[in-house]
Amino acid sequence: MHDHDHDHDHDRTVKPMVEEITDFEVLEIALRELCIEKGIFTAEEHRRFTEFAEQIGPAPAARLVARAWLDPDFTALALAEPLTASKEVGVDWLEPTGFGTPSDFTAFQILADTPTVHHVIVCALCSCYPRPILGNSPEWYRTPNYRRRLVRHPRQVLSEFGLYLPDDVEVRVQDSNQKNRFMVMPVRPAGTDGWTEDQLTEIVTRDCLIGVALPRVGVTSNVVVDTRPALHPSGE
Amino acid sequence: MSTAAQRAKQLDLVARLKSAYPELPDAPSPDLLDHERFTAYMKPVHDVGGEPDTPMKYENKGYEYWEHMTYVMCEVLAWRGIWLSEERRRMGNVDVGRAVYLGFPYYGRWLLSVARVLLEKHHIGLTELAERMAEVRQRYAGGLAGKTLAAQPKCVGDGSQVERNRHIVHAMGKGDPQVYAGRADEPKFGVGDVVTVRELPVLFYTRTPEYVRGATGVIAVVAYESPAPEDETWDRPDARPEWFYVVSFTMAELWHGYTGTATDTLRTEIPERWLQPAV
Repeated sequence: MHDHDHDHDHDRTVKPMVEEITDFEVLEIALRELCIEKGIFTAEEHRRFTEFAEQIGPAPAARLVARAWLDPDFTALALAEPLTASKEVGVDWLEPTGFGTPSDFTAFQILADTPTVHHVIVCALCSCYPRPILGNSPEWYRTPNYRRRLVRHPRQVLSEFGLYLPDDVEVRVQDSNQKNRFMVMPVRPAGTDGWTEDQLTEIVTRDCLIGVALPRVGVTSNVVVDTRPALHPSGE
Repeated sequence: MSTAAQRAKQLDLVARLKSAYPELPDAPSPDLLDHERFTAYMKPVHDVGGEPDTPMKYENKGYEYWEHMTYVMCEVLAWRGIWLSEERRRMGNVDVGRAVYLGFPYYGRWLLSVARVLLEKHHIGLTELAERMAEVRQRYAGGLAGKTLAAQPKCVGDGSQVERNRHIVHAMGKGDPQVYAGRADEPKFGVGDVVTVRELPVLFYTRTPEYVRGATGVIAVVAYESPAPEDETWDRPDARPEWFYVVSFTMAELWHGYTGTATDTLRTEIPERWLQPAV
């Protein structure tokens, strides 16, 4: 069912009475049909990758950080052998192809914050992101706007997320422009003494792993919650 | 069929689409184009780091079905050896040119790159594609109501004769860039070395951002071996792996008028060919 009443204030042309197929939808279907007809890939291969892409998310990365907070040996492993540490939270960077998800490569690195160094990640050239362990990047991360500004005005951009860092903290922007993929290991916040791994995982949000937020007791959601809906999200 | 009036209206719409300096005439004589503008026009369009921009409302976005299918198709094409990711990134993020780069949706460019690689590598023909697009559009003529978006291939191809790259064989079980480990010369630089980023002329493609070229930084990590993107993006068979470095720059030195602190830094990855000992 389509809801034609969008209760947000984005400019949008008046929706036509008849819901037309879009140019992008036409092109995608045409290309996929030709690929299958020519044996470039099979529908089964497409389906397998679709299923893989649908199950990735930030939970493994959050658990990795929570476990590191509780276990200094695991912290050391995460920093020295991030692919091994990934496996311990259920992520094999070589899946599902045997050589990795092609766009994400297999050069994952974890950036450990300290009380005087705060990391924040961007890909100024496109939107490189550690999908296998963190899921898909949020829309704002992919915008030219974020990519233009974070490398040049990081404190201003962080302030727009509500994050203000004192002058004695070094802001370290990581522009992941080649094959490395990064996530942030934030500093464990105060007020979490005696917490279990599950409890700690809850406050390590995706935004904390990009570096636009700090983990805080009582904060279990990301900063940006507004979501622009899709026209045809499920193909109907 | 379109009318003459509709065709004239579309011409008017196209004519309003500008992606050139407005102070110059179209197709200027060469004496009108200075070096700075030449460089601006030639700058690979994905390299937006540091361009002035203002705060905007950041939001999330629900996926269109076609966007999800496009992402999968791109990855499956790489999985099956049709392209390397670096080829996809050039086609979708640079070759499209500035107007489409800024004018199209993000996944619209991913989708264009699929068409591009299939055409350039002779997997499909352009008229074949156009006729299939017309057929798909006709299938949904009268609107989508009640119909699902679905691919309806007419047959299932054999695929055994499709030309595929060797990367999918070599990298199996190893990953990328691990597949290139041990194949570069000894690294020229080590952690702590002070380096300056060279200012080579740039045509068509690079992943060394303009905002670091000419700047001086410190090697933070000797990272991995890989062919440089300038070679990998054309899947050159003779592309020699070289060392890539994570280089650290002091923001206050990198950016004129930086308003943060004196100790803020930026790190980015640069292949060896782009670095020289600090001048």
